[in-house]
Amino acid sequence: MITDSRRMRIFNPRSWSLAIKISLTITTVVTAVGFMIGAVIVEQDWKNLKDELGEKAILLSESVAITASKAMLRKDYWSLYLSLKNMVARPGTKAGHEVITAMILDSEGKVQAHLNSANNPVGLLYSPKNLLDKNLFEQAMAARSSVVLNNGTFSKTGFQEGIVPLFSDQKYLGVVRVRLSVARLYEKANNTAFIVLTTIFCFVIIGSIMGTVISRRMVKPLTAVTRGLEAVGRGEMTDFSPVPVKELDEIGRLSVTFNKIMAELAEKKMLEEEVAMSEKLIALGRITAGVAHEVNNPLAGLLNCIDTLRKNPDDKQLIDRYLPVIDQGLHRIKEIVNNLLVGLKSDDIGETVCIKQIDKLRDLIVAEIGDKDIDIVWENHADCDLYIPGMIEQIACNLLKNAVEILPDGGTINFRMYQDDPYLIIEVSDNGPGIPSNIKNQLFDPFFTTKTNGTGLGLWIVYRQIQSMGGIIEVISEEGQGTTFYVAVPVITMRAV
Amino acid sequence: MRLIYLIILFWTTPVYADNAKPPLRFGLTAVVLTENLRLLDQWSQYLEDKLGRKVHFVQRKSYREVMDLLDSGSVEFAWICGFPYIQTREPESLKLLTVPVYRRAPRYHSYIIVHHNSPFQRFRDLKGRTFAFSDPDSNSGFLYPLVLITERRESPETFFRLSFFTFNHAETVQAVSEGVADGGAVDSYIWEYLAIHRPEITKKTRIIKKSPSFGFPPIVSRTGVDTDIVKQMKVVLEDMKNDTPGKAILAQLMLDGFGDYPDSLFNEIRAMANTIQRASPKYPHTSD
Repeated sequence: MITDSRRMRIFNPRSWSLAIKISLTITTVVTAVGFMIGAVIVEQDWKNLKDELGEKAILLSESVAITASKAMLRKDYWSLYLSLKNMVARPGTKAGHEVITAMILDSEGKVQAHLNSANNPVGLLYSPKNLLDKNLFEQAMAARSSVVLNNGTFSKTGFQEGIVPLFSDQKYLGVVRVRLSVARLYEKANNTAFIVLTTIFCFVIIGSIMGTVISRRMVKPLTAVTRGLEAVGRGEMTDFSPVPVKELDEIGRLSVTFNKIMAELAEKKMLEEEVAMSEKLIALGRITAGVAHEVNNPLAGLLNCIDTLRKNPDDKQLIDRYLPVIDQGLHRIKEIVNNLLVGLKSDDIGETVCIKQIDKLRDLIVAEIGDKDIDIVWENHADCDLYIPGMIEQIACNLLKNAVEILPDGGTINFRMYQDDPYLIIEVSDNGPGIPSNIKNQLFDPFFTTKTNGTGLGLWIVYRQIQSMGGIIEVISEEGQGTTFYVAVPVITMRAV
Repeated sequence: MRLIYLIILFWTTPVYADNAKPPLRFGLTAVVLTENLRLLDQWSQYLEDKLGRKVHFVQRKSYREVMDLLDSGSVEFAWICGFPYIQTREPESLKLLTVPVYRRAPRYHSYIIVHHNSPFQRFRDLKGRTFAFSDPDSNSGFLYPLVLITERRESPETFFRLSFFTFNHAETVQAVSEGVADGGAVDSYIWEYLAIHRPEITKKTRIIKKSPSFGFPPIVSRTGVDTDIVKQMKVVLEDMKNDTPGKAILAQLMLDGFGDYPDSLFNEIRAMANTIQRASPKYPHTSD
């Protein structure tokens, strides 16, 4: 049972295999060329045979005409008849033709001799048997030089008639007509045509088989290359088996190159996997070290306080002084742990909020600026009805806070938000000192900070959140020129109903 | 020594004489079947053996040509037709030698033949038709049908639509059998010969009239030929029926033999010729 899609493939030449197309093309070309040549040969053969027959008819008429003039003047009907019969219908000759009829007519069209005298009495006007015969009779009587007439049909009933007028002392005496049948030639021509067509048919079959073999051999490596590329598309590069190379033609070279590319890709993929693994390990190590370092710092102070308090359990003054320190230290640890959790759990997109919520950030940032002399330029071109993940608000807040912290007096913050379907774009730029190029690569690493009191988790969290939404973040910064963060997050699919 | 000379002389003389004598020439026409060359070779060989000198058969298409050979002395003997034989010649240039015997008599007929499928039953049915004569100097092939026409007070030109000569009895039969002529006049001896040797053409013909019997075409000698030779030839021909090789040749010729008959054997032909001559003086005189 053939499925519909398979049937469609069979009837749609565009989806046919190259091997089939090439072999069909070769077969078609061989067939077309073969039959064209065959047709030309057969046509030429037939024309030659017909011309030869016409010449024969003229020759026979002329041989009769040699003696006919004198015999006609003598009214020697018997000699006329004998010359006609002996020249034209010699028994036992295999002239390759068949005489349909032969006659000698006088200038008035009276029969002087006729091969079939019984039906064409000597001395009487020749009476044509049909319209064609009448037409030919008139042409023959009008002829004043040798001419070949025919009925123009390619069949067993076709004929060639040699007409030779008779003259004596420039006086027109009559005409010799010899009509030869093409029946035997027709058979000959048919035999030739049969042989030619059979030969061509054999060639076509051989050509088709060769075409199929050649095209299969040609296409085989291409099929292997295609399969290999399909595997690349699926990302399965490691279990690829090389395309066998037999020839060193274009396809062979393609196969060799493909094999090389595949081998290199597989190696690259392995290397990438190794690099990814080691990067993971490095990140893990960095996180672990960061956690250890950040948690360890307050822990040392806390342990000191606890130790001092244990030694002086009744010193109320000491308790009043140390408890806020312990509290502060523990909060610091809690903050670090919370931030880590936010960063690591960022796969959860969380609630969505109306995009208008973003504009409220402006007041928060103004408060954050406090007494500092910083201008803020706010542009929101996004669709007011758009609902966005709540994370985006946090991302924008983090970036804006960073800018406030880094800017000296007299700086300017530009906030721009707009849509470029399917993305929501957020640009936060400042004209601060910029990021030194040597630390650009570490910008989004956890626990990396240039601030004295920072945790180094802000940008790491931003990065993780954007990644979890399938978005991208880019930083353009030059020392002394300022910094711009570009954030693009796909949000259109999240439009609230 | 003389004896040796004599022996050489007598031994060589006949050979020398044999070669020195000019060959006897025998004129032939279509009366006999000139196509059968082997038969003529056998016959000439037979005559050479009997006569002791060369005999050449000289073949001609028409009686007229054979008669010209006789007149010019180009042949010594000839087998001619009764019609030219009885015609007047001044001076007479030939002499009756012997007459073939056919079916026990020195006589034959003229057959008027038509195509076997034709509707013609009588000679008069052929009026306005085409007709094949054998030879203008033939009794059976021309004189007899001419008499039939003359008796109707007509001429070949008025009686037939068209007529022609084939100069050969066998070809007259062929002309009729192939429909070239509606009717034809032919020697009964030739027709019967063809009925055995070429039945396919005689079968296509039908005899609608058989003439009274006439003297068989005779063999004549030219006047002026050595009478001894003439006699020898006559004896040899008339003796053919008496020896085996001669009989074999006669059998092939379908003849019983040759016989000595008087000139009166040809009186019927003479009478017909006179009839014609009276009706139309353009025809030759007969020798009464």
